Amino acid sequence: MEPEVMKMLAIGLAVGLGMLGPGLGIGLIGYSAMQALGRNPEARGPIMTNMILSIAFAEAIGIYVLIVAIILAMIV
Amino acid sequence: MPKRGWLGCSFPILAGMLIVFLALFVVGFLSGPLGRSMFGDVLPNWLSVPRPDPKLPAETIFHLFGFPITNSIVAAWLTIVGLVGISFGVTRRIKLIPSRWQSALEFLLGWLLSFCQSVAGEKNGRRFFPIVTTIFLFVIMNAWLSLLPGFGSILVTGSEGVTVHLLRGANTDINLPLALALVSFVFVEYFGIRSRGFRYLGKFINVGQFFRSTGQLFRGRLKAGLSGLFTGFIDIFVGILETLSELVRIISFTFRLFGNMTAGEILLLIAAFLIPWVFALPFYGLELLIGFVQALIFSGLTLVFLTIAVTSHKVEAT
Repeated sequence: MEPEVMKMLAIGLAVGLGMLGPGLGIGLIGYSAMQALGRNPEARGPIMTNMILSIAFAEAIGIYVLIVAIILAMIV
Repeated sequence: MPKRGWLGCSFPILAGMLIVFLALFVVGFLSGPLGRSMFGDVLPNWLSVPRPDPKLPAETIFHLFGFPITNSIVAAWLTIVGLVGISFGVTRRIKLIPSRWQSALEFLLGWLLSFCQSVAGEKNGRRFFPIVTTIFLFVIMNAWLSLLPGFGSILVTGSEGVTVHLLRGANTDINLPLALALVSFVFVEYFGIRSRGFRYLGKFINVGQFFRSTGQLFRGRLKAGLSGLFTGFIDIFVGILETLSELVRIISFTFRLFGNMTAGEILLLIAAFLIPWVFALPFYGLELLIGFVQALIFSGLTLVFLTIAVTSHKVEAT
């Protein structure tokens, strides 16, 4: 297999498989935040703050995958 | 009073706006790569868009005392001048009944102070307020200034004779998020040591139990000594893990900010390339939101780690 083809394959696989985790993670965080909000609408402030914080942690993992993909794409 | 339609405008103005929008959309579509591939031959030559070329390391513009000054450094200088200028100008005449600029700045700082105090408590919130606010304002100004026109469009001749852009969003150069992460790390350790003395470092080098149990072994108490030895090993291991997690925090901060900002910049470039003038509008909104959220996350996480470093374990155990 030529190096160009291998590079494209590597980038696609890295991003595709790598973004599964953060995507699911953020969905789960949102789900639990919605549940908590439904049970206790008065606690909206703390719930939303902590939800945004947790989503940032989960999203950072997705950003690592993006960095790997960009580095792979820059190899000539 | 003319009849109010959608968006609060009368019907002729709304029709005019829609026609202008459609004209921009059509012209943009034709000059982008999609229109060019569909109607390639009939279009004039000046109606084309150059291919975007995002480069990852920031390009040098000139050298100052032997240091290469990149375009992201120039953009960071612009941010600093903007922030210091606003603060300086507003605080020249502080009145009891504030003017517009003063009340806006007071609102911003009051909101940030209440954020710090809600996470860290009353006294600690006031203590951590300067570093957290500095990080927040710096990151958000960098992110939002890079959306203005001029960033990525003014070309100058660079240091090796190559044409480079004069300004580039400061957060997209990996050195700036790394510097901010190092500053945050140093401040967390400094506040930890200052509040709890050098026993704060005992969190990382946890050999007390180990030495105590070897002392017990030497004095002949084998059973207590051996179980203490096991606990000592686990304590040392946990200490090493804590050290590692502190160091990985630097890398995680860096890549979170850098990745979000670079991905946003590349996204805007591609969106402006596909259908110029129109398609990039929702992505600008997204970039505004992401700039704000990333600044909040960076400063908020710094605040959380500062609070954890300052709280002693006896308080946490309750």
